[in-house]
Amino acid sequence: MDAFGMGLVAAMGALATVAGASEDIDSDIGSQSNPNSQVQLAAQVGNPHRIYNKAIAGEPPSNALWCTTAAIMAYVLIEGYHMPLLFAVAAGASLAALFDGVMSTSAYFGRSASQARFNQWIYLDIVRYTTPSIMAHVWITSFCICLIAVIQVYILTPHHPFPIPVIGLVWGLTVGAIGSSVGDIHYGGEREFQWRLFGQGLNTMLSGQIVRKAEAGLRNSIDNAWFCAKFGGPCTGLAFGLTVFLDNWRTTVFDPVTQAGAAIAMGLFFVIVMNLYNHYCEVSARRKYGPYPGYKGDIPA
Amino acid sequence: MTFDINTIIYILEIIVGGLLVGVGVHFVPVGGAPAAMAQATGIGTGTVQLAAGSGLTGLLSAGLMMSVTDNLWAILATGAVGAMIMIDATMLAGSWIYAYAVGAPFASAKVNYDPITGFSQPPYVAPGTVGQGIPTVCFVSGTIGAAMGGLGGAMIYYPLVQINGNPAMSAIFAIGIFFVDAVLASWNIQGTIEGFHDPKFKKWPNAFKSCLVATAILAVVAVLITPIGGV
Repeated sequence: MDAFGMGLVAAMGALATVAGASEDIDSDIGSQSNPNSQVQLAAQVGNPHRIYNKAIAGEPPSNALWCTTAAIMAYVLIEGYHMPLLFAVAAGASLAALFDGVMSTSAYFGRSASQARFNQWIYLDIVRYTTPSIMAHVWITSFCICLIAVIQVYILTPHHPFPIPVIGLVWGLTVGAIGSSVGDIHYGGEREFQWRLFGQGLNTMLSGQIVRKAEAGLRNSIDNAWFCAKFGGPCTGLAFGLTVFLDNWRTTVFDPVTQAGAAIAMGLFFVIVMNLYNHYCEVSARRKYGPYPGYKGDIPA
Repeated sequence: MTFDINTIIYILEIIVGGLLVGVGVHFVPVGGAPAAMAQATGIGTGTVQLAAGSGLTGLLSAGLMMSVTDNLWAILATGAVGAMIMIDATMLAGSWIYAYAVGAPFASAKVNYDPITGFSQPPYVAPGTVGQGIPTVCFVSGTIGAAMGGLGGAMIYYPLVQINGNPAMSAIFAIGIFFVDAVLASWNIQGTIEGFHDPKFKKWPNAFKSCLVATAILAVVAVLITPIGGV
């Protein structure tokens, strides 16, 4: 273990935390992932809205695309033109953000136009001020992930054998999977349906009845980002940061050649701790909230 | 390349890896889009993406380990542990949101009592939903599934690097085989499953057979491929 390596692993953890948070907020502003099914449905059940509607692809493949695009450009600039690492990564992230801007705009126009028969409008002001916000978040995500890949391949020892586009692809898929599994719950389970009874999942009967009024005026996607940035985004960042940090920490502290067993045992220890922590969350939620009133079954709570 | 006994062993390793991925997907508790609205038990995303996210994190760990050692067991175990860390961190952060933002107690709609903790489930299932959150049995099942996915990914990657000596190309091919098996398993469970306690889990032999055929074809192709130029 060397102090420089530990510092790099800590920096990777911090970058991953930022990447996770910005990834989730990007998907909330664009209303991209699972909860977008409700936004799509809203107009069809008589609730036209001012929410941005881009579902380019599922979150994991689309983030894999942005991060790989950024990493490929960075790879070409580093290997082919011997550019400084940081400059190459920033240039790559800019390209990814431009790609995202094009696809987000066409996705919004296409999806909203296809719902014209349900009285859903295309709002040009929404396109003007929401798209740059989405692009900015994609820039942050792809910059951080590309930088993690660069650190793993060029700086951290042992150097990772994969080239940075492959690492960008894998981390992009992973951050998308985490954002889709964690942050989406805050957006879909809480923000979209704030007027239903608190403390329960969405009743199927309420599908499509999303909240359309904001704290002031009509709700748009920037309002959603404001809300989700308070809890859903940071939780996503924490999950991705934990993944990157814990996974690399154990192979940096313990030498993978001579102490492989210790590195694996440390990983298993983390896994057991997380299992116990989830059990604590389950017990605490059951104790605090109790069974649902009106339950008429035979099984005691 | 020469076709000898080692090639057959490599093909068998790839097939076993593919089967581990295919069966492992059945353990991962995915609720799809409804779970993101706390409308179904499990993790709120698609089966394939979650399995890929965890399995490929394991592949990154295994690739790093393989660049410094050729100890097969260390490489496989590192792949499995890397995948378990990813899925556990994801499920844990998801649980925070279910418990502290949506404010819903965790409950499975597929069983009356949690097979591990013995907690009763139906009184905690919200009206109009099929459960919510990630109960202990789902969490443990997901951890097992990720371990199998990571192990499978590493087991596909290991022989490919032995054959062509090119980590980048081997990784891409391993990702491809991983996706094929994950998608086949996902069709078998029709997109959502709660874990090994779910009745759908009994359908795993179907996925086993289809993954066996698909991976066998891919394995033969994989061992014949050699890199054109170094990366």
